[in-house]
Amino acid sequence: MDLLLDIIRLVVSVVIAYVVVFAAALANIVFERRTLAFMQDRHGPNRVGPHGIFQSVADAFKMMGKEDFRPALADPWIFTLAPIMVMIGAVAVQLTMPYTKGFTPADLNVGLIYIVAVTSFTTMAILLGGWASRNKYSLVGALRSAAQMVSYEIPMILALLIVAMVVGSFSLDAVVDAQADYRWIALYMPFTFLLYAIAAIAELNRGPFDLPESESELVSGYGTEYSGMRFGMFFLNEYAGMTIMSMVAVTLFLGGWHGPFEDALVVGGVAIVPLVWFLLKTYVLVFALVWVRLSIPRLQVDQLMAFAWKVLIPLGLLNIALTAAVMLWVPRWRWGLFVVGWVSFFAFVGLLDPILKRRLRKQRERVPVVTS
Amino acid sequence: MFDHFATPEPDEAVKLALRRIEERAAAGHGSDMEGLAFNEVVVNMGPQHPSTHGVLRLVVTLDGELVKDVIPVIGYLHRCKEKLAEKRTYYQYIPIVDRTEYVAGMNCEWAYAMTVEKLMGIRPTRRAEFIRVIVGELSRIASHLVAVGTFTADLSPLGTAMVFYMFRDREKVLDLLEEVSGARMMFNYFRFGGVRYDLPDGWVEKCRDVMKGMPKLVEEYESLVDDNAVFLQRTVGKGVITQQDVMDYGITGPNARASGVELDLRRTRPYSVYPELEFEVCTAQHGDIFDRYRVRMEELRQSVKIIEQCLDMLPRGPVQVGSLRAPYVITPPPGSCYVGQENPRGEYGTYIVSDGSRYPYRLKFRDPCFCNLQLFPKLLRGTKIADAVAISGSIDLVLGGIDR
Repeated sequence: MDLLLDIIRLVVSVVIAYVVVFAAALANIVFERRTLAFMQDRHGPNRVGPHGIFQSVADAFKMMGKEDFRPALADPWIFTLAPIMVMIGAVAVQLTMPYTKGFTPADLNVGLIYIVAVTSFTTMAILLGGWASRNKYSLVGALRSAAQMVSYEIPMILALLIVAMVVGSFSLDAVVDAQADYRWIALYMPFTFLLYAIAAIAELNRGPFDLPESESELVSGYGTEYSGMRFGMFFLNEYAGMTIMSMVAVTLFLGGWHGPFEDALVVGGVAIVPLVWFLLKTYVLVFALVWVRLSIPRLQVDQLMAFAWKVLIPLGLLNIALTAAVMLWVPRWRWGLFVVGWVSFFAFVGLLDPILKRRLRKQRERVPVVTS
Repeated sequence: MFDHFATPEPDEAVKLALRRIEERAAAGHGSDMEGLAFNEVVVNMGPQHPSTHGVLRLVVTLDGELVKDVIPVIGYLHRCKEKLAEKRTYYQYIPIVDRTEYVAGMNCEWAYAMTVEKLMGIRPTRRAEFIRVIVGELSRIASHLVAVGTFTADLSPLGTAMVFYMFRDREKVLDLLEEVSGARMMFNYFRFGGVRYDLPDGWVEKCRDVMKGMPKLVEEYESLVDDNAVFLQRTVGKGVITQQDVMDYGITGPNARASGVELDLRRTRPYSVYPELEFEVCTAQHGDIFDRYRVRMEELRQSVKIIEQCLDMLPRGPVQVGSLRAPYVITPPPGSCYVGQENPRGEYGTYIVSDGSRYPYRLKFRDPCFCNLQLFPKLLRGTKIADAVAISGSIDLVLGGIDR
C-alpha cells in the first residue's frame, strides 16, 4: 500500500513539474512581452484573448504546425537531441521545490548540490545544439554560453555554500524551515543574495548577460538554425528558467513558502495559502528579471568574464570568510551576519558604480585627444 | 583537411577573405596559440542580419571573438538612381532623390534643388528659404533620432526601450512634415525656386509646441544612457576615428565633428539663410563611439534652436518664384555644377552636367555614407565582434544612399 502511495506521489510530482514548467513558460512569455511593452510605451500583444493572455498558447500551436526543418549539413542526431535535452534541467529542478507546507515532491538531503548540478544541464544542451547546427553564429553562441556557465557557476556556488553554512543542511526543506518567523536569509544576508541573483541571471542567459544569443551580433546565437517546435523548446526553456531560478531564489533566500496565515486553508495535508505566498514572491522576482533586462545594456564577452573572475568570485570568497568568522567568534551570530551583510551590501551597491565610472573616466583621459 | 564550416559556394568577397587568411598564414601572422591549427573563420554578416541597418553585407574574418578582417560588400539596394536621371526631366526626378538617402529625404531634395537652381541662376523666394531650413532641420531631427535609436538598439536590450522612445517622438516630427508635404518620408516637396506648398494654417504654432517639448525629451534620452556605467564601458574609447582618418577618407558630418574637425557646411560653405541664424557647430574631442553619440544629441538641440529662430523670422510672401510655377519642363543652360549640402550624415552633394536639353546629361551624388563606409575595414580590424557591431551602428549608414 505504501509502495502504491509512493508511486502515485511520484507520478503526481512529475506531472506537476511538467505542468509548472510549461505553464510558467507560457505565462512568462506573455508577462514579459506585456511588461516590456508597458515600459517601452507601446501596446504589446493584446489580440488573443483578454489582454493577449493566450498569445503564447497560440504561438506554441503555430510552432508545432511548422515544418520540422533540419539544415542539410547539421549533425542529425545531436541536432534533434539538443531541444529534447534542454528541458531536463528545468523539470528536474522542479521535482525538489518545496511548494508549500507539507508538499515537497522529493526532499533530497543534497538538494542544494542537486540544483547546481541539474541546472548546468541546460548549458550542455545549448552547447550540443550550437555545435550540431554547423553554423558559425551558433558555434560562437554555444561557446559563449559554455564559458559563461563555467564562470558564473562559481559565484553561484559560493553564495549557496553560505546558505548551507547558515542552515547547516543541504536539504531544501531544512533551508525553508530555517527561515520561519521571518528570519529570511535575504533579510540578514542581502549581499549573499545579491551575488546569487547576479550569478543566477547570468546562468539564465538573460539580459544584461544574454551574450549566447545576443541578437545584434550573433543573429540569435545557438538557436540560429533552429525553427518550429525545436526552437520552441529552447524558447520555452528560457522562459521557464525565469520562474525556476526565481523559485530557487525564493526558497533559498526569501523564506520559501513562509508568510502570514500559513494554516488558514489546508486541503488533504497540503496548505494552500503558503503556495500563494510562494508564487507571489516568485513573480516579484520574475518582474525584477524583466526590469533588469530592460535597464542595463548588454556586456561584452571580456567585460562579462572580468566581472565574474575579478569582482564576483573574490567577493564571494571574502564573503564566505567573513561569514565563517562571524559564525565562529560572534556569540549572537545572526545579528553579526545582519550587520556584516547589510554593510557589505551597501558598500557593493554604493561603490561599484563610482569605481566603474572612475575607471572609465581614467580610461577616457587616456583616449588620445584627436584634435591637434 | 575537412573544413567543418566551409561555405558551400563562396562568392568573390568570401574568396578574397579566404585568400587573405592564407596570405596571413603564409606571412606567419597566424593564431597566437602555438600548436593549434590556423583557426580563423569567415563569417558572413548580412545582407540579412539584425544589425546591419539595411542591406549592408560585411564579410568578417573572426579569430574567436576577434575581428581580423572586414570586407564590406555593397550593391544589394542598387536601383540605378543616377542613370534614371538621364531619362527624366528635372521635375520628374525630384521624387527619386527622396529615395536615395531615405531617412532624411528633405535634405537630399534640398541638395538637388539647390544644384539645379545654381545651374539656372535663380534664387528661391525668401519665405521659401526659411521653410526649407525648417523642414530640413526637422528632417535632421528625425534622422538623428533614428540614428541614435538604432545604434543603442544594437548595443543592448536597454536600447530597445530607447529606440521605442525615439521613434515615438520622431513620429511627432514626421506628423509635422506630413502636414506640410503630404507624405511621411517620400516628400516630393522641393521645387526649383521654392517649395511646393505653403505652410498650412496653424502649422507654425504646432511646430512651436513640438519644438518646445523637444529639449526635455532629449534630456530624457540622455538620462537613460549617459550615466550608465555599462553603456560607457561599451562606447568610451572604442572605434576612434582620428583627424588623419577624417582627412584621408573624406569623412564628413557628425562623424568628422566628433573627431574635432569643425566641418559643417552650414557654417564653412554657408547656403540658404544659415548665415543669418545663430547656432553652434557641435564638436567633440576624442572621436570615439561615445563622442559620435554625444555630437548627435547636441545637434538635436541645435536643430531645435534653428527651427525656433526660423519660425520667429518667417517672412510673408510667395513660396515659389512666379515664373517657375507653371512650366513642368525646364531647360537649364549647358554647363555643370556641384553643390554640397549638410545632410544629417555629412556632405551630401549633387553634381549635374546639363547639355541644355530637358534631361540632365549626367547626374552624380556624393553620398556621405559611401565615404564613411570606406573606413570600416580600418576601424573594425582588431576589435571584438560586439564592438564591431557597436562601431558600425555609431557610424550611421543608410544603404539607400550608398547603393543609390
